[in-house]
Amino acid sequence: MAEILLEADSVGLTYHQPGGETLAVDSISFDVNHGEFLSIVGPSGCGKTSILSMIAGLLKPSHGKITLHSDARPGYMLQRDHLLDWRTVEGNVLLGLQVKGTLNEETRAFANSLLDTYGLKEFAKSYPRQLSGGMRQKVALIRTLACSPELLLLDEPFSALDYQTRLMACDEMYGIIRNEGKTAVLVTHDISEAISMSDRILVFSARPARIKAEHTIKLSQGNTPLSRRNSPEFKDYFDSIWKEIDHEH
Amino acid sequence: MNTNGMSLEHINYLKGIRKKNRTVSFFRYFILIAVIALWELAARLGWIDPFIMSSPSRVFDTIGRLYRDNELFHHIAITMYETVVGFLLGTIFGTLIAIILWWSRSLARILDPYLVVLNALPKIALGPILIVWFGAGVKSIIIMALLISLIVTVMTVLAGFNEITDEKQLLMRTLGANRFQILTMVVLPASVPTVMSALKISVGMSWVGVIVGEYLVSRAGLGYLIVYGSQVFKLDLVMSSIVILCVLAAIMYYCVAYFEKRLIKWRDWA
Repeated sequence: MAEILLEADSVGLTYHQPGGETLAVDSISFDVNHGEFLSIVGPSGCGKTSILSMIAGLLKPSHGKITLHSDARPGYMLQRDHLLDWRTVEGNVLLGLQVKGTLNEETRAFANSLLDTYGLKEFAKSYPRQLSGGMRQKVALIRTLACSPELLLLDEPFSALDYQTRLMACDEMYGIIRNEGKTAVLVTHDISEAISMSDRILVFSARPARIKAEHTIKLSQGNTPLSRRNSPEFKDYFDSIWKEIDHEH
Repeated sequence: MNTNGMSLEHINYLKGIRKKNRTVSFFRYFILIAVIALWELAARLGWIDPFIMSSPSRVFDTIGRLYRDNELFHHIAITMYETVVGFLLGTIFGTLIAIILWWSRSLARILDPYLVVLNALPKIALGPILIVWFGAGVKSIIIMALLISLIVTVMTVLAGFNEITDEKQLLMRTLGANRFQILTMVVLPASVPTVMSALKISVGMSWVGVIVGEYLVSRAGLGYLIVYGSQVFKLDLVMSSIVILCVLAAIMYYCVAYFEKRLIKWRDWA
């Protein structure tokens, strides 16, 4: 039995607005193991992102408890890369370390080694505007990894990319995350993407979010998201998840 | 760029661009020279009264005389000093106030109507009060320039700060940044372009403040020369001062523009 990294215990969230209050997340409980790749799929606006925000500590749950068994702050990847235009690629990658105040010889060398390993060394002194969309998202991932998080929170990190780039970026990110031995929670509305990347998938209902179904993904073929799509089981997973998602939205 | 192996079409395309640029430059100079020539001609041929309208040669003579009397740079220096100090103070205080208002949304909301009224108020109306409070001298003039540029700077810079997407701030929060880090690492650097365009506006505003101030109180400076010249009916002096003012204002504007270009290197990579 693998070690548990993250526990969510009957977590709920209510949003308050002048017009009234909205129950975004109803009592949700799940665990994430070390080294696991978990995806959360559900209809848009179902409160998937709220879950990530609560895990990241940006939002406080209205009730319930989230426990992270790690001292490192979770790394968060947003839909868009949000690279800072006035910083070079290297400067962007070092941003998290500067914010934490842990930038030193050692951490800088580590960040540069990540750029080196994942083929961005020659772009270290380039500005983000000189990079393609896929490369920018890769820099954003390395910016996250530079802080050495144990848990990565991925909030539809490929949704701003065009389809071709998206498949490539997906393969590449997956490789990096596996290679670095990270645990990941991916939020997406793309069922294929979720199946191709995950060990386990939680299907959320429409708002207020509840866990509607849980699938452990076992694909017989391939070890990259793109090749995993060729597995014969892929279609079955897709069909059952497709039926579980509320489509009235 | 590779100059070898360009297609004929591309060569013609580049030629076309160069030709258009040449045409634009040509007409720019042409208008300037034509206006000066026509002005001179009109004065010489008696179409206009040179005593009232002056003429390029009389302006030239007047500037020469001011120079020989060691007055030219004296007046220029005083006006420049007042403008630069007013401009810098307006920029520094304006940006500081904008930072404070960005920091505290509540304060920004509380002060919003006051800013709107101050912005709408013609600051020139405060001239007589400034003279009473700060004396009829350089101090009043600088404060006038400061007042005129300050509110515009505050409002433009604050609008720039607020334009920075919440998502960029969200990114900083996911990295664990506090508000001060968000300010120094994202908001300020991201606002450099807005601040620079605010500066371009407030340079002009500072000139307005200084010249109006000099109209009201001064004993030296280009604004003083203009008022003095019109009172003793030396229109040559008035015209000369305005010509000098044009040149100085243009130089100062281009200084800011040059500074802007140097500062926003990353913009070149589009």
